[in-house]
Amino acid sequence: MQTFLGAVINGLALGMAYALIAVGYSMVFGVLRLINFSHGAVYAFGAYMVFFFVSLKLGLLASILLSVVISGLLAMLVDKVALEPLRKKKSIPIATLITTIGVSFIIQNVLSIEYVFGSERRAFPSTNLFANLSIGNITIQSSQIIMLIVAVLLLGVLTFLVQGTKVGLAMRAIEQNRKAAHLAGINVDLVISFTFFIGGACAAIAGALIGGYYGVINPGMGSTIGLKAFAAAVVGGIGVLHGAVVGGLVVGVVECVAAQYLGSNVRDPMAFVILILILILKPNGLFGKKGITKV
Amino acid sequence: MKKKLGTIRENGFLYVFEHFIDAHRAALIALLALLAIAFPYTPVADRSTQRIVTMILLYAMLGMGLNVLTGYAGMVSLGHAGFYGIGAYCCALLTTRLNFSFWPALLLAGCLAALVGFLLGLPSLRLSGTYLSIVTLGFCEIVQMVLKQWDSVTNGNYGIRNIPKPELFGHQFNLQNGGFYQIILALSVLTALGCLAIKRSKYGRAFQAIRDDELAAGMMGVRTARYKILAFVISAFITGVAGGFYSVINNGYIEPNNFVFNVSVLIISVVVVGGLGTIRGMFFGAALLQLFPQVFPQVFRFLNEWRFVIYGVLLVAAMRFRPQGALGWQSTLPYPLSRRTREELAHRSVLPGGEKGATP
Amino acid sequence: MKKWIAIILVAALIALSGVSLAESEGIIKIAVAGPMTGDNAEYGIGFANAAKLMAEKWNSEKGGVHVGDETYKIEIVEYDDKSDSDEAAIIAENIVSDPDIWGVIGHFASGICMVAAPTYQDAQYINISPTSSHADYSGIGDYIFRNNTVITVETATGADIAINDLGGQNIGVLSIDTEWGVSAGDAMEANIEALGGNFVLRQEVSESAVDFATEIANFRDANVDVIMVAGMYGTLAPFAVACKNSGYDVRLVGCSNAYTDNLLSIAGDAAEGIYAPVSFFAGNPDPAVQEYVQAYTDAYGTAPSALTTQAYDSVGILLEAIERAGVLDREAVKDAMYETDYQGMSGYTTFDEIGDAQKVFTKIVVRNGAFVVAE
Repeated sequence: MQTFLGAVINGLALGMAYALIAVGYSMVFGVLRLINFSHGAVYAFGAYMVFFFVSLKLGLLASILLSVVISGLLAMLVDKVALEPLRKKKSIPIATLITTIGVSFIIQNVLSIEYVFGSERRAFPSTNLFANLSIGNITIQSSQIIMLIVAVLLLGVLTFLVQGTKVGLAMRAIEQNRKAAHLAGINVDLVISFTFFIGGACAAIAGALIGGYYGVINPGMGSTIGLKAFAAAVVGGIGVLHGAVVGGLVVGVVECVAAQYLGSNVRDPMAFVILILILILKPNGLFGKKGITKV
Repeated sequence: MKKKLGTIRENGFLYVFEHFIDAHRAALIALLALLAIAFPYTPVADRSTQRIVTMILLYAMLGMGLNVLTGYAGMVSLGHAGFYGIGAYCCALLTTRLNFSFWPALLLAGCLAALVGFLLGLPSLRLSGTYLSIVTLGFCEIVQMVLKQWDSVTNGNYGIRNIPKPELFGHQFNLQNGGFYQIILALSVLTALGCLAIKRSKYGRAFQAIRDDELAAGMMGVRTARYKILAFVISAFITGVAGGFYSVINNGYIEPNNFVFNVSVLIISVVVVGGLGTIRGMFFGAALLQLFPQVFPQVFRFLNEWRFVIYGVLLVAAMRFRPQGALGWQSTLPYPLSRRTREELAHRSVLPGGEKGATP
Repeated sequence: MKKWIAIILVAALIALSGVSLAESEGIIKIAVAGPMTGDNAEYGIGFANAAKLMAEKWNSEKGGVHVGDETYKIEIVEYDDKSDSDEAAIIAENIVSDPDIWGVIGHFASGICMVAAPTYQDAQYINISPTSSHADYSGIGDYIFRNNTVITVETATGADIAINDLGGQNIGVLSIDTEWGVSAGDAMEANIEALGGNFVLRQEVSESAVDFATEIANFRDANVDVIMVAGMYGTLAPFAVACKNSGYDVRLVGCSNAYTDNLLSIAGDAAEGIYAPVSFFAGNPDPAVQEYVQAYTDAYGTAPSALTTQAYDSVGILLEAIERAGVLDREAVKDAMYETDYQGMSGYTTFDEIGDAQKVFTKIVVRNGAFVVAE
C-alpha cells in the first residue's frame, strides 16, 4: 500500500508536468483542430530562454516572464510564416502536420547548434524555492507544489479566457465555423495569432517549471515529453482544457504505477497504450465533445 | 499516330514534357532500364555511391509502402518505422536463429508486418484523421518497447549481429559486387509495378474514393471497412519487406534504435516531398532527402551544423509552396480511357479524331 | 539566366572541393568519425579536438611520422556520423575509398561502431574506437581495436569503491537502457557479488530520462545505501539532484564517463561525494599529463574528459604503430598495433589478442565542487 501510494504521488507530480504542456496543445487544437507538433520544441525553447536570461543575471521571475513573452511571439511567428499561408490555401491536413514537424526540427536544431546552446545537457536553476514537505516516508518538493499551483491557476485563467471573455467567444466561434465567424466581423487572423501566442506562452511556463523541477535541460527535452503530453491531451479529450489536466494526471499516475509493478522499462510507451485504449473505447477522450473526429 | 508537341511557350513545359514522354515511352523505359542495370558496372559506382543509391531505392520503396496508405487511401501513419522494424527483426531472426535462407525470410518478414498491419488497421474503423495518426505513433513506440524488452527473442539493446548476406545458387550478394543494389532495384521495381497495378484496379479506385470522401464512398457501395484494412495490410507488407532487406545491408547488425520515430518522419517526408499518390515522386523524394545530407555539407562546409535546420526549412517550404510535392503535378494528358470505351467512342464518333482526342 | 549562374557556381564549388582533396603528397590522413552535430555532438567534437591536438604535437615536435626514410605530415579528417547508423555506414564507405587514410579513430555509440566496423575490417583499415563497449566489437576482426576499458574491469573498480571505500551494505544498480548501459549494469551486478557485496536491486531508465521518482522510491524501499550508476553524466547528474531533492541519503558511484566538468555544473551541490573509477584524471600530478591538460585547455577552453583523452591516446597509439611498422602497409601496421606498449594520458595501454586495451584505474571523488583522487 505504501509503495502504491508512493507511486501515485510520484505519478501526480509527473502528471502535473504533462498537464502543463497538454493545456497548450489543447488550447491550439480547440480553436484550429490542428495538432501542433512544434509545441514540444517551443517548450524546450522556453526553457532555454529562461536559462539564457538567468545567465544574464536577470533573476528567475523576470527571466520566466521574458521567456513567456518571447516564446509566445515565437509561436505566433510560426503560425504567421508557416501555418497561415496553408490555411489560406486550404491545404490538405497532412501539409500542416508536416509543417509543424518541420518547425519543431528547426527550433530544436537551432538550439542544438554549438554556438547557440549546444546539444549537451545544461544545469537549470532550481525552482525548489522553499522547504520540502514530508509526510511519513513521502517527500513532496516545493517545485512540485509550485507546478501544481501554477497548473491549477493556468487552467483557471485559460478557462476564464475561453469561456468568459470576448476573445474567448471569438475563439469558440472560429472553432465552430471560421467563415461565419469572419462574416460576423471577427478578425480571424488576429484571434488565431492570439491563440498561438497563448499556446507558446503556456509552453514556456511549462518549460520553466519542469526544467526547474528536474534541474536539467537539453534541446531534445521536448520530443518525448511533448508526445506524451499530447497523448495526455487526447486522453482527456483534446480541445477541452480541464480534460488536458485530468488526462495529464491519468497518464502520469498510470505511468508511475506501471513502472512500479511492471518494471521501469514500460513507462515510456505506457502513455500510448492508454491512448490507444481510450481512443478505441471512447474515441473523443474522457471529456471530449461528441462528433469532433469527423472531419 | 504522330502528335505535334508545339513549343513550350505555346503549351507550357508540362504539356510538352508529358507528351514527349508519352510518345517515346518504350524507348525511355528501355534507356532507364539499361542505365539501372548497368549502374554497378560503371566507374562512378564506388562503394559509397552504391550504398547511397541503395539507400535511395530502399527509401523509395518505403515511400511507396506508405503511399498506399497515405497517398491512395488518405490515412496518415506516423508509425511506419514500427513495420520497418518488425520486418527487419523478423528477417534477421529467421536467418540467424532458424537458419532460414534470405528469400523466404524476406517474404515472411513482409507477411508478419502485414499481419500486424491488419491488427493496427482495426482501430482505423473507428478513428479517422489526426486520431488515427496518433495511434500509429503510439504503435511505433510500443514496437520499440517490445524490441528492447523481449530479450530472449530480440536480444534487447544488444541488437542482432552476424546477419548473413543473401545468397542465390551459391552467388553471394554484397555491396562490392553490386548485389545489394540489384536486389533493391528488383524489389523497388516490383513494388512500383505492384503499386501501379493497385492504383489502376478497382482497389485503387476504392482507396481514392475513401480518401476523397469516406461517407460518399460508403454510400456508393464501397465497403470502406474492408478497404481501409486492406490498405493497411498492403502498406505494412511493403514496409516489412523493405525492413527485411535493410537487416542485411546494415553490415549484418541491427538494433532497436534503428527504428525510431525519426525514421517514420523521414519516410513520410519522402512521400510528401516527392508527391502524395504518385510513384515517380517516391523515387524523387527519396533521392532528394538521401542526397541532401550527403551533398549539402560537402558543398557548404560552414553550414554543416545547420543541416538539420535547413532540412526543417525544406519541409516547411515544400508544404507552403508546393504541398502537392515536387513531382505531384496534375497530368495534362487526356484521361486514359479503357480500350473498350475508346472503341465505343470511336465507333460513335463522339470524340473528333477518335483514339486519344489530343489531335490539334 | 540566374539559374545558369547558380548551376555554374555550384559546379565550381564542387570542383574546388575536389581540387583541395587532390593534393596529398607526403601526408598521412587519420579519420576521426563520430557525431559532430546533433545528439552526442560534444563527444564527436571532443574526439576531433583531441586528435588534432595529438597530430599538431607530432607535426611540430617531430615534423610528422617517420616511416622508413620518409617523413609524412599528419592530417586529421573529420567525418560526421550524426549518431545515425545509416549515415555511419555511408561514412565508412567514404573513408575506405580514400587510400591516404591509415586509420579510423571513432564512432561513439556502440551500436554505430558495430555497423561501421565490418566495413573497415573488410577494407583492412585500422579502426580504434575510444568508446565502444559492445562485447562483440573487437571480435569483428583483427583490424578492429578499442582503446576503451573492458567494461568488467572498470565496473570491478567501481564495485570495490561501493563495497570497501563506501562500506555499502545494500548496493543497487541504476543503468540506462542502451547497449552500453545494459552491459555495464550486468557487469556491475556480477562484480558486486564476486567481491562479496550485497546486491539488492537493479533499475533501468531510458537515456533521455530526467524523472527518477519511481526508481528513487524503489531504492529507498529496498534500503539501498550505495547506488552504482551505469549512465553518462547526463543521467548521473540529474539523478544525483533528484536524490538530494527528495531527501534520500545515498552514495553514488559512476563510471569513467561520469568524469567531466558537466557533471559538476549540472549536479552542483548534489555532486558532492560522487565516486568514479577513471583511467585518466586531469589532476594527475604526472608532468606529461599536466602538460597535456594545459595544452588542451589552452586550445579549446575546457579540460579534457576521460573519453576525449582515450581518443587522444588512440591517435598516439596508431602513429606509433605506423612508425614501428616502418612501412606504409596496412597489414604491417595492424601487426604492429598488437605490439603496442603505450604510456598515454589515459594510462598504460596494451592490446590483448582480440584488440581490447588493458588499463589501470584511479578512484576519484567530488570534494568541494572539484574532482580529487580518493584517499
